[in-house]
Amino acid sequence: MEFIHLLSLGDQGWGDEMLRATMVTIMVSISAMCIGLFVSIFGTIAKLSKNRLIRAIGNTYTTVVRGIPELLVIYLLYFGFNNAVMSIANSLFGYNQYIELPVFLIAALAVGIISGAYSTEVIRGAFLVVPRGQIEAAKSVGMNKFLVFYRVLIPQVLRYALPGLGNVWQLTLKDTALIMVTGLVEIMRQAHIASGSTYSPFTFYMSAAILYLVLTTASSMALNSAENWANKGVKREKA
Amino acid sequence: MITALKIKNLTKSFGSLDVIKGISLTANQGDVICIIGSSGSGKSTLLRCINLLETPDSGDVWVNEELISMTKNKAGDPCPADYKQVDRIRTKLAMVFQDFNLWTHMTVLQNVIESPIHVQKISKQNAIDRGYDLLKKVGINEKAEQYPSSLSGGQQQRVAIARALAVNPDILLFDEPTSSLDPELVGEVLRVMKSLAKEGRTMIVVTHEMGFAKEVASKVVFLHEGLIEEQGEAKEVFNSPKSERLKQFLASNLEG
Ligand SMILES: Nc1ncnc2c1ncn2[C@@H]1O[C@H](COP(=O)(O)OP(=O)(O)OP(=O)(O)O)[C@@H](O)[C@H]1O
Ligand SMILES: [Mg+2]
Repeated sequence: MEFIHLLSLGDQGWGDEMLRATMVTIMVSISAMCIGLFVSIFGTIAKLSKNRLIRAIGNTYTTVVRGIPELLVIYLLYFGFNNAVMSIANSLFGYNQYIELPVFLIAALAVGIISGAYSTEVIRGAFLVVPRGQIEAAKSVGMNKFLVFYRVLIPQVLRYALPGLGNVWQLTLKDTALIMVTGLVEIMRQAHIASGSTYSPFTFYMSAAILYLVLTTASSMALNSAENWANKGVKREKA
Repeated sequence: MITALKIKNLTKSFGSLDVIKGISLTANQGDVICIIGSSGSGKSTLLRCINLLETPDSGDVWVNEELISMTKNKAGDPCPADYKQVDRIRTKLAMVFQDFNLWTHMTVLQNVIESPIHVQKISKQNAIDRGYDLLKKVGINEKAEQYPSSLSGGQQQRVAIARALAVNPDILLFDEPTSSLDPELVGEVLRVMKSLAKEGRTMIVVTHEMGFAKEVASKVVFLHEGLIEEQGEAKEVFNSPKSERLKQFLASNLEG
């Protein structure tokens, strides 16, 4: 019954720390997902643009981010941000001490930029499957560009994108484990610290695994009901 | 009486393919003009140029004697001079498509009241009342709360007709409205279209339904390779075609 003791709340056990770390994981994931969705609006516009240069920028973003290991993206962004801030501080104010950046923000940005690349692909794909005929029908009854976009495109894009965005969310949630390298104490980092000081790595990594599973299971349940709601009016594909 | 629709010297090409090569056509109020012709002759393109789903290369279109004003964009390609005018005129020219193109995320009733509420700014209650009337007219009011995907093709097309009627158009454009339907569902859609013709609606109908054209068309236009090869009253065109091509076309389309 050693592990009950280890995972108990309060001073003796690590339970409260693990729960706090879980909150951090949830907060970083949500922030990263939102940043990613925000980025993906521009990513989608860029990738669907008629302008070749803008399209190339969009394609470069998704290709590069999805083409290199996520841990490496996080390293690059983390040290990139650090260098950028320090060189700006140096050149503008002559300040040359090491600057500690807000880790939460950097972590959310780094994972958000990864998440955004995947969201961009999902949303772009969803735009392309809305039947052109429905857009023409909207124009033919006098809808202007704004109404076509807002009343016909967006609701359907969301519906088509929802399952894919659900996958992106799961991916984002798991990617936050990689940001332990930045020192932010989320589930993974906390498990690492706890196992280091108690010599019970299995107990803590196992509880980390269970925590992630709880989070992903809860989110896929939420996603299922969201999909059912969004799929009003859509015939179920014959399985 | 004002002229409902007038087209003058319309041309349209896609790349190097000349699809419409100079077409002029006039529809008076209450005319039912049926456009026939073999596949690829440019029937759909002509119809889509009228409500600017395709931008004509040259030529003029008047709706209710109002000219749709065109200009050239920076690249030198023709484009509408005033998109607001285009949106407004499109409500005078509602279109019914071969593939219905109902909005799948909206119920039948929502499809019908969408444009009246959001484009024409009619009060919601008014739009709903009118929507039910129109659905009753096309015989589908009991499906008002259902989504299009649960309807048969014939039912969907009748909803599409109600949606087109809902904006109170002066002219109805039909592009092969029965071509995607199973044979047993064609009749119900043609019946609705015939009743609209009887009401005195101005209609431009691209169709392969020769029986329908014979019965209700005030004028039949035979298109061949982007030009009007022959036109006239339904009786003339079907009973005493002059051009060889029309004779051939009728021979291969009239059996049965
Ligand atoms: N958007 C487009 N881009 C390129 N070519 C097109 C486009 N739309 C139509 N065409 C071509 O223009 C020609 C005429 O097409 P259109 O659809 O007007 O013919 P149609 O008479 O309606 O034929 P159908 O009876 O098969 O519907 C065809 O050769 C078609 O391939
Ligand atoms: Mg056609």
